[in-house]
Amino acid sequence: MNLLTRKLIAKELYLYRWLLVGVTGAGLASLLPAASGEFGFNVGFLVWLTAIIALGVMLALFGVATERKERSLLFILSLPLSPGDYVRAKLLGLLACFVLPWAALSAGAVGLVLAMPGIADGLLPYTVLLCVFLLMNFSVVLCAVLHVSSEAGMGGVIVLTNMSVSLFMMGIGRIPELGAHMGKPEPVWNTAFWLLLAAELVIALVALALPLLIAARRRDVEKV
Amino acid sequence: MSAKAIEMNGVRKAFRFFTLEDVSLDLEHGQIMGLVGPNGAGKSTTIRLLMGLLTADAGSIRLLGHDMPHSQAAAKADVGFVSDDMKLLPQATLAWHMDFVASIYPGWDAAYAAKLLKRFGLHAGQTAKSLSTGEQVKALLLLALARRPRLLVLDEPTSGLDPVARHELLTEFMDVLRDDSRSILFSSHNTLDVERISDRITFIDRGRVVASDNKEDFLERWRTLRLRLPDGAPDWQLPEIVHRDIEGPNVTLTIDGFSDDFLARLGAPIQEVHRMSLEEVFVATVMHSRQMQEARP
Repeated sequence: MNLLTRKLIAKELYLYRWLLVGVTGAGLASLLPAASGEFGFNVGFLVWLTAIIALGVMLALFGVATERKERSLLFILSLPLSPGDYVRAKLLGLLACFVLPWAALSAGAVGLVLAMPGIADGLLPYTVLLCVFLLMNFSVVLCAVLHVSSEAGMGGVIVLTNMSVSLFMMGIGRIPELGAHMGKPEPVWNTAFWLLLAAELVIALVALALPLLIAARRRDVEKV
Repeated sequence: MSAKAIEMNGVRKAFRFFTLEDVSLDLEHGQIMGLVGPNGAGKSTTIRLLMGLLTADAGSIRLLGHDMPHSQAAAKADVGFVSDDMKLLPQATLAWHMDFVASIYPGWDAAYAAKLLKRFGLHAGQTAKSLSTGEQVKALLLLALARRPRLLVLDEPTSGLDPVARHELLTEFMDVLRDDSRSILFSSHNTLDVERISDRITFIDRGRVVASDNKEDFLERWRTLRLRLPDGAPDWQLPEIVHRDIEGPNVTLTIDGFSDDFLARLGAPIQEVHRMSLEEVFVATVMHSRQMQEARP
């Protein structure tokens, strides 16, 4: 990784530092009521989920779309970098911005499931799959905003990916190999879990690789 | 060092409603070229092609000896590029931008940056979003100038500035050229700015370069002649005459290629000969080019 790429990654972390601190703080704080009972769990879970989803959407919008719209992209493109360097730095920078709070909040959620006597440890595979799904979801949104330049297109992608979280949460419990073990005292790490986890990771990797293959090779860099 | 700072040969770029056609430009090291054209003429497209932000459909572009857009990362290391529609990162302060650029360019001149900060009346602690349009341009120019680039590429740099700021800026450009290895390409539709500092001038209109020459040669070649011809104006077939305005016996000719030889071939008594300003030369060149284009089948 060259100096400029490192500087651009550091730039993203600097620009969104308060967003990252705020989201991490709000997400971790939401775990406190989640430990207080069923109602608190539902409220806390909603805040935790909203914090992660909102972080992804805001990073994609501010980090790519707003930079493009407010013409600061042109300033970045005036620096000694190629289109490939820009896309790589943008991907890594925004991924770092997302992964840091996501890792903290995911660890918090896993810790809550393990630590709380009222929550069955059988929920752990579901929790892990949901956390990785949210990472995958962000990767897809990031991939989309690097390819789609219209605001309507970006709005569509954001709506669809948000809907997919609800569908995932509803659908995952209906898979017998997973749903049947969610209330058990011990987590069950069966083939269905590993297949789903692998699928999520593959989709995330493909979504992160696509901009390097397509957006980075565009003939007209300003459209990146 | 390559022979030229900028070499564009036969460059073409087509969009849905606009085509830049067969653009060729050369800029020697140590020169200032003014790229002048009306709005929508293709100045910004030419500059974006030069900077590797767009890829030409045909032709070749070399920037400081580097093939563009393929070697743009290497080329841009020695180029300061500022455009009137470029903005700084809104949430970050000017101080942050200065540190950021300084960390990327080894040639960053902190003392010069501090001097420019003061001269432009900027405050390092200001966030970019709190800067006015003119201050944004000044801040961008500060960041470009203080890295001491070998080539400055400026797209309408003075368009958002008041006359005092424009004067300061043009003086600063002249200062840059004290080092005769540095060059500037700047686009503008303000011919006064261009006339003041340029060595070479290129006129562009409707996606085509319509004229490119040294400033002095432009100003030397072009004249308006006033004649009084009571018997009517003859049907001159002289290629130097690009426009004729006849009101009764009073005839005004616009000439591209004024010389004693031309006067001899004109063979008519001249009342007055006027040198033309660059703006008059620009308008006459563009109008003549348009007439020629429209006359083509």
